[in-house]
Amino acid sequence: MLAIKTVAGYLPAKTISNYDRKEKFQIDDNFIENKIGVRRLKVRESDEKASDFCVKAYENLLKKSDVKSEAIDCCVVVTQNPDYKLPCTATIVHGKLGLPENCACFDISLGCSGYIYGLSNIIAFMKSNNLKNGLLFTSDIFSDIIDHDDKSTALILGDGASVTYISDDGGWLPGNFSFWTRGSGYKEIICDDHLFMNGRSVYEFASTTVSKHIKNFLSENNLEDGDIDKYILHQGSKYIVDTICKKLSVESSKVPYDISEYGNTAASTVPLVLEKEIDKTENNKMLLCGFGVGLSWGSAIIERRARH
Amino acid sequence: MKATVENIKTIIEAAGISGSADDLQLNVPLTGQGLDSLDMVNIYLQIEEEFDIKIPDEDLSRVQTIEDMIEYVNSAKSGDESV
Repeated sequence: MLAIKTVAGYLPAKTISNYDRKEKFQIDDNFIENKIGVRRLKVRESDEKASDFCVKAYENLLKKSDVKSEAIDCCVVVTQNPDYKLPCTATIVHGKLGLPENCACFDISLGCSGYIYGLSNIIAFMKSNNLKNGLLFTSDIFSDIIDHDDKSTALILGDGASVTYISDDGGWLPGNFSFWTRGSGYKEIICDDHLFMNGRSVYEFASTTVSKHIKNFLSENNLEDGDIDKYILHQGSKYIVDTICKKLSVESSKVPYDISEYGNTAASTVPLVLEKEIDKTENNKMLLCGFGVGLSWGSAIIERRARH
Repeated sequence: MKATVENIKTIIEAAGISGSADDLQLNVPLTGQGLDSLDMVNIYLQIEEEFDIKIPDEDLSRVQTIEDMIEYVNSAKSGDESV
């Protein structure tokens, strides 16, 4: 049964400190530490593209996995910042990694909900087509598209990528998924010239809609808080993660917050946290939830495969 | 339910501000009294939920002080056409 075997992330070395921008944005240490919860952002070097980040994530995967490039038969990239309008970034990654020609490649254009959609899509696609070794990438470079004078985005969004290796002997089995969309809210996070985010609307969305969604998703799956070891939420900001945690009335120790040193990397935030959580022995069942641009949101339950 | 100084201050406290809402002046913008933009977003949401009203983005300039909030909520609840 296809499952998550390994997750590896990539964050660039270049860093911007929000402490250096306090005067520009009229913010204080409390705002940095306790509200947005982002001290530093990771940003790309001068000419890297999404595919380059995917390659580096894959290099990190090779350090911790027995994956063989020649065995990869599926390569999916979740990005809203593709290298080019065409071809899709997955084919570029295919070329840069030297993957075999019998490998299926496609992109999924989603943001913060993208890992959830991507995970369901790659597993279903692989299962339907009897594929055995898949790579699910998430990769976004926001440096190109944010307005560096916009407090709502410039202090929060960072660049990053991840790769999830899917195989028959993976240790984490996906359970049920749930997918939702509110297209009437498409203007709340939109990029035409530069990225715009209506912070108020996004906060209200996360605080009300996403919290209710998680509660309903648990109920529909006959699960309670006690059944879940970790809630891996999209890391929009500390304020958003804390708010959802309070609305769910769950222990904060079960809701990791991880982005203080690298920022909100959209579709990559969930897998970057997952990378740290899947090897912890206390975690056996986790809820993943991505939400944001679209407005789009979704959740998945993943469970550690029973050991024999 | 009408908005009052007491219930608006309760909402502000519940938003998790640092310090006590009792220390806040009624006719001074809250952002000038130590609250930040995220506090305000949370307060607006709590007001909307508590009083079952909507505060559209274009009205935000009219709800900057505690007195503003009381007037805005009570006008909205009474169906005042000036809202």
